[in-house]
Amino acid sequence: MKIAARDAATGPVLEIVGDLDYGTAHELREHVGRTALRPGQCLVLDLSRLEFCDSSGITALIAARNHAAAARAEVALAGVPDNTLRILRIVGLDQVFALHPDAQSAVDARSAPTPRV
Amino acid sequence: MDIRRRNNIQITGRPDGPTVVLAHGFGCDQNMWRLTVPALAEHYRVVLFDYVGSGGSDLSAWEETRYSVLSGYAQDVVDVCEELDLRHAVFVGHSVSAMAGVLAAHAAPERIGALVMVAPSPCYIDSDGYRGGFSAEDIDELLASLESNYLGWSATMAPVIMGNPERPELGEELTNSFCATDPDIARVFARTTFLTDSRDDLKTVTAPTLVLECAQDVIAPREVGAYVHAAIPGSTLVTLPATGHCPQLSAPEATNTAILDFLRSLR
Amino acid sequence: MTFPLGDAPEPSEAQDAASTDAAFTALLEDSVDDLYESAPCGYLSTLMDGTIAKINATLLGRLGLERRDVVGHQRFADLLTVGGKLYHETHFAPLLQMKGAISGIALEMKKADGGRIPVLVSSVVKHGGEGEPLLIRTTVFDACDRRAYEEELQRRKQEAERAHRQAEADRARLQEALAALQQSLLPASLPAVPGVETATYYHTAAPDRLGGDFYDLFALDGERWAFFLGDVCGKGPEAAAVTSLTRYTLRAAALHDPDPVTALTTLNTVLHERCTGGDPRYCTAIFGILTPDPETGRAAVEVASGGHPPALVIRADGGTDFLPTPGGLLVGALPEASFTSATTTLGPGDTLLLYTDGLTEARTGPDRAELYGDRALLDFVAGHAGASPQGMVEALTGLLESLGDGVDDDTALLAVGVPRTLASSRPATDHRR
Repeated sequence: MKIAARDAATGPVLEIVGDLDYGTAHELREHVGRTALRPGQCLVLDLSRLEFCDSSGITALIAARNHAAAARAEVALAGVPDNTLRILRIVGLDQVFALHPDAQSAVDARSAPTPRV
Repeated sequence: MDIRRRNNIQITGRPDGPTVVLAHGFGCDQNMWRLTVPALAEHYRVVLFDYVGSGGSDLSAWEETRYSVLSGYAQDVVDVCEELDLRHAVFVGHSVSAMAGVLAAHAAPERIGALVMVAPSPCYIDSDGYRGGFSAEDIDELLASLESNYLGWSATMAPVIMGNPERPELGEELTNSFCATDPDIARVFARTTFLTDSRDDLKTVTAPTLVLECAQDVIAPREVGAYVHAAIPGSTLVTLPATGHCPQLSAPEATNTAILDFLRSLR
Repeated sequence: MTFPLGDAPEPSEAQDAASTDAAFTALLEDSVDDLYESAPCGYLSTLMDGTIAKINATLLGRLGLERRDVVGHQRFADLLTVGGKLYHETHFAPLLQMKGAISGIALEMKKADGGRIPVLVSSVVKHGGEGEPLLIRTTVFDACDRRAYEEELQRRKQEAERAHRQAEADRARLQEALAALQQSLLPASLPAVPGVETATYYHTAAPDRLGGDFYDLFALDGERWAFFLGDVCGKGPEAAAVTSLTRYTLRAAALHDPDPVTALTTLNTVLHERCTGGDPRYCTAIFGILTPDPETGRAAVEVASGGHPPALVIRADGGTDFLPTPGGLLVGALPEASFTSATTTLGPGDTLLLYTDGLTEARTGPDRAELYGDRALLDFVAGHAGASPQGMVEALTGLLESLGDGVDDDTALLAVGVPRTLASSRPATDHRR
């Protein structure tokens, strides 16, 4: 798994490439833990190149959400692959995370004056 | 359980002859009798075996509890007799085996009809009025020596030190002798042999008994032979012109003659 | 008393040398006797009964003995310590008599001053022209250094063995503790529910790891029974602690208020309080209440799900469907969680099946790339419609076995059904409230 970080107008965007599982989930959690968030920012996790996600990966996503909430920031998932989306639906997290087709639309949605999705 | 395999039972001699069972003592295995067997084979059916833990026996059948007492070895004798369904067999026991034979004959009198005790000792340690030949300290020293594997390094240490799976021939070469035993098993056998006082068991003997002693034997001195002879009423004592504890090897002719004379007297 | 030395190699070698270089010879051993007496090891020769006939000065000096006290008076065994003597009589002597030679045997000799010397002894029997044994030749090497080394080796070996035994014992104790803990996470057996049959299956993917799946079924009062099945995220002791907390929380919550949504909400609060921050611990679970009606022979079921795959209802007539509980969030991850409930009624021959994703996420296909999936499970159980809960669980056990190592997660199954009666083979109707 690789994590590519960049900053958008709305806050950090982390692109997660490869497998997010028991062996790699801690890397994402550590990376998110080091990512500074200001109140009102949105942490976008770009999952469009995510190949596999197990329950450890889901835990890492929840940890990211908790990290953002602690900073009074938001979190959004972009480009969630179908199989991961299926799991998110089963566990009810599709209602917890803001979901966007891709990272750009996640940033755009936050940049626009309209309230959160 | 397969007793024949467990105790490495070998049967030779005249199939329809009276059965003689030859039992080895502490140290070696049934090969001790290789100079005795030819003398008996013509007229007798000869049964050889190894106690569990010795020689070619099944070492996996060895249990410390059972073989920490002499009755465990006697049970091996009874097991062998029952496996072969022996009746009134003559049991020839060397050294500690002579006493195992006494216990076995008491436990299964119908199986064992007569006893030959070769260099027997019912108790190795001196005590009031009895001279076994050793002080308690002497025996402790032997056991301590065995505990620390001082003795017989190449024979008893080899399987441990040389137990190199890459080069099995090393251990093989050094242990390919009939006196080699697993050090742990040897320790238990030595402890049982030299610490057991079975003088009282001599009183139980009712079968015709031949006691063979050596003229010079550090392990079973003449006093002990006389003691055994006196304790078993009606027994015969023969002193062999032999030195050491193994007359069947050091004086085979005299030993064989004495055993054959006794066997003939039983008819 | 002297004995021939036999075929010692030195004399002939010396003679060869003498023929070529006399000056060189002068430097070599010119006295066989001196070589024997002053050799750097002990030599002795004995009669067959062990009586010492010849012994060299090296050995006498080492033992502190006088030749006149030894030769013709003592046996080889007399020079040994008691332990060595017994070993000599029981092992050394018979082996030498049988084989004619024996080498490198460790023994201990005693010195005149009471000290003892560890030695390595080799002996060979010399035979006469007729093959008759004549005497025994013995060499004695000092083995003090070697003995010290052996003792060290032996000590280390014993230490290693002790450590190994300790490790084995620790491992066994840990296994026992794990097994006991695992047992505490599951009911030993399910209570009998009148008019209802139940069956369960439980399998941990790794025998030495605590499973994260759990289930239970217990009476609330004379009329109602509660049941649940779930999956704690993660494995091992941490997950087991959450499993234990989950089980006892749900039991206590159900006794307090058996409403399934309330029970899961209570669990969410408890789990979230325990595990907040960077290390979220959560579970997915289905919780339900079962109310058999003795008059109709049917059983009413109300379930709520928290992020768990939906239960399956298999009707006696083959009609099979999931019992959806949409929107239920996994339990314990977030401070607020919503759960929804669903109801159904089980008639004769109907079965409700709860399962964990070890089954639906099992990998199939030649390269284990496919997931078994909800659809396949639905079809499979539909094919066993009308089977008793026990029969259904047995069929699914067979399925899991056929998936082999494709099942890489823990798996739990809980089946609850109303036995089919002879009178009513008619399909039951779905009574949803």
